[in-house]
Amino acid sequence: MGDISNRYAIVGIGESERSRKSGTTPLHMALVAARNALQDAGLEAKEIDGVMSYSTGDSCSSHQLATYLGIRPSYVNDVMGGGSSTEMLIADAVGLIEAGLVKTVLIWRSMNGSSGKKVGRGYDPDMIQEAIDGGSFIIPYGSASPSQWFGMFATRHMYETGITREHLGHVCVDFYEHAQRNPKAFLNGHPLTMEEYMETPYISYPFTKHDCCVELDEANAIIVTSAERAKDCKSKPVYIMGISARECHPHAHYWSDLTQVASDYVAPQLYKSAGVQPSDIQVASIYDCFSWVVLRQLEAFGFAPRGEVGDFVAAGNLRIGGSLPTNTAGGMLSEGYTHGMNNVLEIVRQIRHEYKGTDRQVENCEIGICTGWAGPDIAGAMILRN
Amino acid sequence: MAYQKPIPLKNQDNKPYWDSADKHELSIQKCDSCHKYQHPPGPACSKCGSPKLSWDSFGNEVYGTIYSYIISYRPFLPGFQDDLPTVIAQVELEGLPEIKITGNVLNCNPDEVKIGMDVQMFWQDINEERALPQWKLR
Repeated sequence: MGDISNRYAIVGIGESERSRKSGTTPLHMALVAARNALQDAGLEAKEIDGVMSYSTGDSCSSHQLATYLGIRPSYVNDVMGGGSSTEMLIADAVGLIEAGLVKTVLIWRSMNGSSGKKVGRGYDPDMIQEAIDGGSFIIPYGSASPSQWFGMFATRHMYETGITREHLGHVCVDFYEHAQRNPKAFLNGHPLTMEEYMETPYISYPFTKHDCCVELDEANAIIVTSAERAKDCKSKPVYIMGISARECHPHAHYWSDLTQVASDYVAPQLYKSAGVQPSDIQVASIYDCFSWVVLRQLEAFGFAPRGEVGDFVAAGNLRIGGSLPTNTAGGMLSEGYTHGMNNVLEIVRQIRHEYKGTDRQVENCEIGICTGWAGPDIAGAMILRN
Repeated sequence: MAYQKPIPLKNQDNKPYWDSADKHELSIQKCDSCHKYQHPPGPACSKCGSPKLSWDSFGNEVYGTIYSYIISYRPFLPGFQDDLPTVIAQVELEGLPEIKITGNVLNCNPDEVKIGMDVQMFWQDINEERALPQWKLR
């Protein structure tokens, strides 16, 4: 992407209720999230001329959402995708605005991720075997859950770098602690100690339930526009310093090279485009479908050298008050899971200083990083400032 | 009792692999342009994009080492509920380290499985026509 630094901003964020059983459709939840984002931005629905979404076949369409917002956008698009899709669509929105096709874009994700279609569960085994690239080489062996796939990477990475289960536990315990400060976190009221973590039975070694994101019913929405138009919005704009849309690792679906992940390729171009370095980052949202992916991304994005990321988290750096407060609403491990978008909402709130005066606010944070990572194969990320 | 677990589905890209497996033989796809091996097989080379592909047989004496593994305590697919915990491993082939093959390590104590362990491929006959490559500790 060309030099778009500080010329675009996130001006609105909104969400629906989150629950295990919404009792409603993704369309209804998307409407709630979209209206909340519009209200946050101080915009009317008719001022939105682009609507974009991602899903894994578990949602409704942007055309439907636009219809029931009562608007006729000049551009709608729905892509297949999970994690890293938020960053990709924000980059797409910037490109569309830059090209003059649209002015203000609503990006949303809605899913009954608990009561509806769950990732990796409830599918016909033959269907999933055909749907997954190389499916016949894993499904007959019982490998059908992301917890098993990511676990395979984690075990090898732990072996190579000395990361221990206690290190995975620090990620979980710290994020759960953040969720206790967030009344809207699904696991608010469910704190986790290291002792409890270590005693929890495995789902797929090396992961327990605490290492896996909490799948819920929820919708999120984000509004992106130019810095110029952001001045007319009610909210405090959060500017995009740099963004990497969706980097592909060349051979990732073969899952044979664990020493490189797509994030490794995202990081240098991201920091270059934003004109900052890891030490400038004061708050982070790190894609956390599983505890281990946080550790691997902390390496990739230069917060700790390879082999030292375990010590980095054990020292308490991820906590509010630490050197890199991370997933300060609890993240997908304990707040809720919308394939990464709820982590974007949180970093926007932090950078706006929306929690000022409470124990949730990262003091004086000006610059934050948000990573969206679906797996070792694709990754996107952005750096934001107030 | 009939085999309850998913049976590998043959398609245009993987058929030679599974046809070989049914005859208790390992076949790996090779690129005729850049001469690299790849697994899983595909419609073209994942390294250089060449559609010129062939198959090399590695016979029925196949060895490797455990590159990574997980131990699954829940059945995410039918048939595995009676077989828990299940060890699922990625095995690095001896003499062909760029190739990793996923399989179960059977007849072992899951708690004793470690990365780097030596394993040998064997073929589990799952019905009258089909056989599934599996691994055992050496």
